Amino acid sequence: MALDLSLSSSAQRGTFAQFPGHVAWFVLSICAIGVWNLASASRNTGSPGATPIWKLQLLFMVVFALLALAISLVDYRNYQLFAWVFYAAVILLLVYVALKGKRVMGARRWIGLGPFNLQPSELAKLAVTLALARWLHDDAERRKEPYGMFGLAIPLAIILVPAAIVKFQPDLGTALIVAGTGFTMLLFAPVRWRTIAILGTVAVIGATVGYPHLKPYQKKRIETFVNPEGDVRGAGYHATQSMIAVGSGEGTGKGWGQGTQNNMRFLPEQHTDFVFSVWAEEHGFLGCLILLALYLALIASAIDIAAGARDRFGHYAAIGVAGMLFWQVFINVGMVIGLLPVVGVTLPLMSYGGSSVMTIFLALGLLANVSMRRFVN
Amino acid sequence: MSLLNGTAPGAAQNEFRPKLAWATVVVIAAFLALFGKLFWLQLVRGDEYRARAEDNYLKEVRIPADRGLILDRNHVVLVDQRPSFDVTLTANYCGRQCEEVLDRLAVTLDMTLEEHAAALGRLAEARGKKNARFKPFVVRVDVRREDVDVLEAQYEDLPGVDVQPVPHRSYRYSALGGHLIGYMNEVGPKEMETLNAELKKGASEQPPYSLGDYVGRRGLEKRYERTLRGVDGVHFVPVDSKGRALDVATVGPEEKRYVPSRPGQNLVLSIDWRLQEFAEKTFPATAGVVAAMDAKTGFLLALVDRPAPDPNKMSGRITAAELRSIYEDPLQPDLFRAIQQHYHPGSTYKAVTAIAALEEGIFRPNTTVRCPGYYTMGSHRWRCDLESGHGAVDFEHALGASCDVFFYAAGAQLGADAIAKWSRALGLGRPTGFDVAGEVPGVIPDVAWHDAKVLGGYQKGMAVNLAIGQGDVNVTPMQQLVMYGALATGTLWRPQVVLRVEDADGRVLKTFEPEARGRLELQPGTRETVLKGLLAAVNQPFGTGWWSRLQETTMAGKTGTAQVMALGAQRLKASELPYFERDHAWFAAFAPAADPKIVVVVLNEHSGFGASNAAPTASALVKKYLELEAQDAAAARPAGVASGP
Repeated sequence: MALDLSLSSSAQRGTFAQFPGHVAWFVLSICAIGVWNLASASRNTGSPGATPIWKLQLLFMVVFALLALAISLVDYRNYQLFAWVFYAAVILLLVYVALKGKRVMGARRWIGLGPFNLQPSELAKLAVTLALARWLHDDAERRKEPYGMFGLAIPLAIILVPAAIVKFQPDLGTALIVAGTGFTMLLFAPVRWRTIAILGTVAVIGATVGYPHLKPYQKKRIETFVNPEGDVRGAGYHATQSMIAVGSGEGTGKGWGQGTQNNMRFLPEQHTDFVFSVWAEEHGFLGCLILLALYLALIASAIDIAAGARDRFGHYAAIGVAGMLFWQVFINVGMVIGLLPVVGVTLPLMSYGGSSVMTIFLALGLLANVSMRRFVN
Repeated sequence: MSLLNGTAPGAAQNEFRPKLAWATVVVIAAFLALFGKLFWLQLVRGDEYRARAEDNYLKEVRIPADRGLILDRNHVVLVDQRPSFDVTLTANYCGRQCEEVLDRLAVTLDMTLEEHAAALGRLAEARGKKNARFKPFVVRVDVRREDVDVLEAQYEDLPGVDVQPVPHRSYRYSALGGHLIGYMNEVGPKEMETLNAELKKGASEQPPYSLGDYVGRRGLEKRYERTLRGVDGVHFVPVDSKGRALDVATVGPEEKRYVPSRPGQNLVLSIDWRLQEFAEKTFPATAGVVAAMDAKTGFLLALVDRPAPDPNKMSGRITAAELRSIYEDPLQPDLFRAIQQHYHPGSTYKAVTAIAALEEGIFRPNTTVRCPGYYTMGSHRWRCDLESGHGAVDFEHALGASCDVFFYAAGAQLGADAIAKWSRALGLGRPTGFDVAGEVPGVIPDVAWHDAKVLGGYQKGMAVNLAIGQGDVNVTPMQQLVMYGALATGTLWRPQVVLRVEDADGRVLKTFEPEARGRLELQPGTRETVLKGLLAAVNQPFGTGWWSRLQETTMAGKTGTAQVMALGAQRLKASELPYFERDHAWFAAFAPAADPKIVVVVLNEHSGFGASNAAPTASALVKKYLELEAQDAAAARPAGVASGP
């Protein structure tokens, strides 16, 4: 089995002709908005003299966009080959982080890499996507029946092992995205309806039984979500301040750099998890409409690419990317606007962070790859 | 390779199509939910959230309004404002170091242990409550300028410490006029609720009181609290989430965030401060009252009331020990004697007995009584002031020389009821209506009163005592003033002290008119007879006030000596008695007798005889009044007579 890197020049040209240009435009638009917004969100943070974080973010985007392009050039079936290796490597990294990682604010999530910190949990999203796509692809060859309970044991393990490790870092938000991405992919596998029903019931019971085992701050967040005004100065503070920021943006917003919630630092994590509230405050409903429309277009494109994928692996991979994007956008925005409880989930290409940008671009590279090879044998 | 090429192109598509359609629907539905919530937050409730965002970053800083001034009739400033440098501490900003910071402050400011303990108490209180942590509390009010400089130099070592200039009431003449003017101090929690409820009911523009605010506590400060208190302004200062003030141009123009305060209204008193200061200087008493009233209007010209605590101290600048010493002082400095203390009127009351005797037809204007130096009724004997006796005396001589026997005789025939009737006609026995602070009503004992209050009930001899202002008759100095005003002009005035309310620019907002509460209706001849006696008292060599007569004008008046203790067998001079056993000296007068312009009452507590210890002050005051009148007339003449021939 050789790596198929030597495509003919005509085929190469044909492949490039299939490059999903519309996806690139959506992504670049979001990136532009993201950097611009970050420049406003970070005006009052960081030490004077340090490189502004919007410049760093721009650097991350350029570097990882180029990496994504490079990734899209190599037929994804090569990645399919290395899916298990990648998966195993990420699991090892997660275990390493859990034991030896850099502790920041009570959580071990990072591996120090010189000036940067790598967050392996971000890579776990990709690892699950690739591994699950590979397994579902391979298994479809052998299987004639839809999946029952036992059949789902392995894919569930593929999802839950990294999700569980991430959960105990603790990083509930990322764990949810890892699991959400995986389960979304599973829904596209041939699973018996009865099995889905049973798993759903078990999940509900599990959540009920599991609630007492949540950390106090997590419980508080859920209680706060149910009644955000109940404890405005305490746990509800973030939720309330974020909603005030979003609501006060009204129709067209206060203008770039004019957000008072932003400028006066009332927003928690205003350049990472709550970056959307800065955008909403300064650009209003109109700005939100534009940004969410771009995300919707991106996710719809990913679904479309999944529909046109050449094979099951490509299909599942594209679904994984679509699911990852969808859950991150939905959970993050939902949390910022008070539709969902507060969990630490980044907003793709809007939140500041190298690991986050890297993961999204790797995923997008994979998506473009699937799209470009729809007609390739 | 089967692994890589195992699936035919498009083979998967058909299998996935329906699920992908569902997925698209789910994604669109989820986004619609996001749009819906955004629509609700930003478009439906946007205004409300915008307001809350502004509440967040705009800290409301109150700009205290200047309290109205208190001025005398010539606009001499008696009470105004000065900056007080108050040292405050904000618990949130010193955090765990607060105790250390307080210790350092204690050294710098040379705090007493008591003060230090109080500050620690306030710190504990501030830490206990969630919102109080951000509210600065006062550690020491009114530090010296040198201390301000020292504190500023130590700024780095004193986190949370601020020195704030706070407008503070300045009573320019300290204790002079203290009871009349009153003072201010911090509003209590219960009182605040009441005051705020009143403000709300009156739909006042004034913002509600908050803890730490000062409120008028006594005298005019209390009575005219609402008038003097201005309308506080407000400054919205942009702050970040840590409460630090920010200089942010983006939060709109400064003037939009600034509502200026409006000063309170000024009180213009009828007091002539030149006269007041003169009276304060001339009056030799440790304790007592000098009251002067415009005979034609009832407005007060001077009101000395001694002793009085310094309002500058009472306004939150007093230690517990000092305050205790005031309340334990046997001289009772917290008592507004002019209206809140009962005194026997002594011989000044003989004018009442005289009127009663004439009006009731007991005596005629030319009646004479022989005074052997004593008066007997049954087995009881009353001494006259002059032991050797006055001989035959008529009204003029009896009032002038203050013969007791003449009035004993009148009283014995009048009885308590007739004396009480004419006392009431002269305004005694009820409050004068001096609307500044609570008044005691006085006691005018008639037969029924004695029956109710005295063991054994009314005895005829009691009227004999009453006739010379002893026994159970009690009056206030203010009542004496009103009574002698009525003798002077026939009008019972309601004594007033506020002439006008003016705004900060001097525009008149309200003028108070003279208010007559009654007329003294007498038979022809009565007033003339009594007046003759009052004139004799000052202007005849036999008169008790002969040494206080004036060259400049004819003053009519009456001396009085009110016994405090029952007299022993032997008469002692005042200086031989302990202070609190000495008699009170009275003098009540008006001038000029032909056309009275000023009424003066002097009460010198525990000083002995009215003639020597009260009359000189009154006469000096009348003289000063006439001088000032002439001086003012001369100053006004060039302008006033410009068009004259």
